[in-house]
Amino acid sequence: MKFHFGMAALLGVASLVACDVEETPQAGTFRLYFDNRVGEDEVTLREAGSQEYDYTTADGQQFNLSTFRYYLGKVILTGPDGAYFEDEIKVSAEGTEGYYLVNEADPSTHTILLEDVPAGNYNAVQFIIGVDESAVTEGAAGGILDPAAGAWFWNWNSGYIAFGLEGNALNSGQEYVDWGGGITTPAGTISYHIGGWKDVAENENFVNNIQTVSLDFGTTVAAGDDLTPMVHMVVDALKVLNNTQVNFETTYVVHSPRAGKPFADNLPAMFTIQHVHQSTGSEGH
Amino acid sequence: MKAINWRKAATSVILAGVVSLLFHRCGPGEQPEPDDPYAFQAPDHFPAPTYTFRNNPVSEEGFLLGKALFYDASLSRDGSISCNSCHQQALAFADNPAHPTSIGVDNQRGSRNAPALANLAFYPEFFWDGGVNHLDFVPINAIESPIEMDESLAEVVARLNANARYRDRFREAFGIETITAPYLLQALSQFMLLMVSDQSPYDDYLRGEGEGLTELELQGMALFEDHCGGCHAGPLQTDFSYRNNGLDSVMLDLGRGRITEHPADEGKFRVPSLRNVALTAPYMHNARFATLEAVLQHYASGIRPSATLDPEFLSPEGAPKPMALTAAEQQAIVAFLHTLTDRDFTTNPLFRHEND
Repeated sequence: MKFHFGMAALLGVASLVACDVEETPQAGTFRLYFDNRVGEDEVTLREAGSQEYDYTTADGQQFNLSTFRYYLGKVILTGPDGAYFEDEIKVSAEGTEGYYLVNEADPSTHTILLEDVPAGNYNAVQFIIGVDESAVTEGAAGGILDPAAGAWFWNWNSGYIAFGLEGNALNSGQEYVDWGGGITTPAGTISYHIGGWKDVAENENFVNNIQTVSLDFGTTVAAGDDLTPMVHMVVDALKVLNNTQVNFETTYVVHSPRAGKPFADNLPAMFTIQHVHQSTGSEGH
Repeated sequence: MKAINWRKAATSVILAGVVSLLFHRCGPGEQPEPDDPYAFQAPDHFPAPTYTFRNNPVSEEGFLLGKALFYDASLSRDGSISCNSCHQQALAFADNPAHPTSIGVDNQRGSRNAPALANLAFYPEFFWDGGVNHLDFVPINAIESPIEMDESLAEVVARLNANARYRDRFREAFGIETITAPYLLQALSQFMLLMVSDQSPYDDYLRGEGEGLTELELQGMALFEDHCGGCHAGPLQTDFSYRNNGLDSVMLDLGRGRITEHPADEGKFRVPSLRNVALTAPYMHNARFATLEAVLQHYASGIRPSATLDPEFLSPEGAPKPMALTAAEQQAIVAFLHTLTDRDFTTNPLFRHEND
């Protein structure tokens, strides 16, 4: 998503060459801000294994969170008068563009900056949760998809973990496990790794958990040169737990596509538009 | 006959020469030099390659780097295991028969037979259960498996970055200053992509070259096509499907079922390519059979019933249906299978380990 000055210079030259064409409004930037929550509450990340419980599910199960992260991609903006922006996808060893990792532990990942958005009025956003076949079939990828640099990747059933939620629950059925080599699982943890993208191998038995989110702003916002529109979304982890009606006592670890399907089906409901800004004062408000 | 316009013809030749000079080694789309050992070339009688060469074109520097990595045991936790430990060139990059299932760090025993490596550029999926969709992602499994190389990819990358020789080689191959995992995986892929095995007597026969096959081998080929060719189809002897061939009634290894998490796939494993199969004993995912003769005997009389047994092995009444093959016919098929051995591949110095 870097701004290419070289490209801009080229475009400038091109527009000089073709200068009898009437001036079109300049493209601008567009920000998507992901405000992670648990119900009404801001997210507090605890140390893994912590037994201080910050949150309660609708059916009264107490829990906390240590990790809350997800991949997004294939962002599309649309407007009532035909304005259209489709984020460019580039997946290579050099890096990844068009897919994003939102990690609660890293505030710099909470805002996605879209560039070269054509000038116009926009009133809806669409994106996928997860990393779909467009990326996984390209092979080894850098940046946020590099497994040695923090990407969550399933080796044995190759693909990226679309959504990860980890923490502790008072009633979790997880017992302490020593895996050897210094790796342990503390008692009481909950761990939900939702992934799975394969339904392309002519096998109807595969589960594709890639979900699409489509949200209407309820208003329009203008993009263009010197404009800094932003969409503020709330992403409520409690919704996926409540809607899935998860019982921490029996379902405390999920890390495969089919087992994750009930959760995946409820991921889009986490995302709601809180409001949109025409101009960004300070990020996140 | 029409008279030749020599001036026009000469102009065309000169023009063609200029054009070919202009386009000589000019980047993507160019046909590789026929004698360039580092150019990937798909044999005419093979299916289309599946690998994403557009993201990772093979180069001499990348291939040789991949080779160095393939033979480097420092990719494992304790420096004891390299890719080569379980994939040896003389055995068509299968494991030694003394290791029916692979042996990892601390002499830990794996649960499956390490497969031969050849013609991977043409594979749609990898491993016995097909769980991995791209060649680049294959080595992560061996490196990070606690019973194979037991090292994190991040640690391997850090180790490579601490090595000036590797930093130079990655810079030469990929133009990067800092080594990252995707380039490590791409280098390994480049080495494996050139492992094309297409010089067996069977290939010569298909191309109408060489001495041809013996009577017994030809008889075996006909029997093979009749009895085995439904699944072991095409020039690679596989349709890349996943099937239960009646090894067990109780599944200790769910195979494909572990990937799809679906009961209908339990006990199914990839129909393997039979390229170089005479060199890759023992056979089946669990190394059940020590010899090809034992494999044929299994199909002729050893099929065991289970819920997911392949329909090919079921009678109309739903009972296991062995193949009707006499002992002599089985021998003929084994003779044919030996024609799939490619000695050029197993002795090609291109893949041989060098200390550099």
